[in-house]
Amino acid sequence: MPPSARADSVSYAGQADEWLVERCRDGSDESAFAELVRRYRGPTFRLAVSILGQGFAADAEDVAQDVMVRVHHALGSFRGDAKFGSWIYRITFNHALNVKARVRYRAPHVSDAALAATPSADRGPHEQVEAARRQKALLECVNELPEVYQSALRLHYWMGASVGEIAVMLDSPENTVKSYLHRARRLLQAMLAERGFDAQ
Amino acid sequence: MHSDDAMDQLLRDAMSAEQPQLSPAFDARVMRRVRPRRLTSFGRAVMWVYVVVTAALAAWLIHDLPITVIVAAVVVGVPLAIGVGAYGRSLVARQ
Repeated sequence: MPPSARADSVSYAGQADEWLVERCRDGSDESAFAELVRRYRGPTFRLAVSILGQGFAADAEDVAQDVMVRVHHALGSFRGDAKFGSWIYRITFNHALNVKARVRYRAPHVSDAALAATPSADRGPHEQVEAARRQKALLECVNELPEVYQSALRLHYWMGASVGEIAVMLDSPENTVKSYLHRARRLLQAMLAERGFDAQ
Repeated sequence: MHSDDAMDQLLRDAMSAEQPQLSPAFDARVMRRVRPRRLTSFGRAVMWVYVVVTAALAAWLIHDLPITVIVAAVVVGVPLAIGVGAYGRSLVARQ
């Protein structure tokens, strides 16, 4: 970003999204759009990663980039019925799902097993192997859950997002997100039990 | 431990890997893609000269050919040129 744009971006920092959108529309104000990108690049990337999974971080970055470009082109059609954030997250969710359908059969750059923590040193070798097997099975089960459950789980447990943050990104009430997480845990428990693992 | 709490802990352990980060060039790439790209006046002049010269050259080269060959060349060549141009622009935009 050029220095002048950065200086403008600082002065735009306290402005509402809707004001920035109007600035982008009226005079195609590049600095206003740069501020919107600065605000939403992190959440859109995290949402895209939560849908695609860990091995597809590069694809998630492409999704976030495509979403920003699409939003820029579609600003004229944004009527403001919904919040700008809800709009951009909905575009991100749908685009990430489309990309996921394309990359589903490609091997990830990093396996899901890499998500797991390094086994604790205070466990015996047998316990470590057993814990690793259970974690691998768990991550495979996560991939079989409905998309919205997967996304909520990854945002919460991997990205450290609060229920409130997830609710904003998934455009759902907080109680619905809590319900997603609870139901996902119950489903995972049953799926693990089917594979002969105990959650305890 | 309650089974829901146990699953909660299991998920925390299983998803404790480092979070991926956006590349530092993300903003710059986005802004480059949305910024309108316009040729300089010199670039526009070069393009016009190229168009006029190639059109004249093409007309001179094909004026003896049968009309069916000319029509076939246009039908195949024009969409191909448009497609290649669009693909080239998308490649530039992705950089």
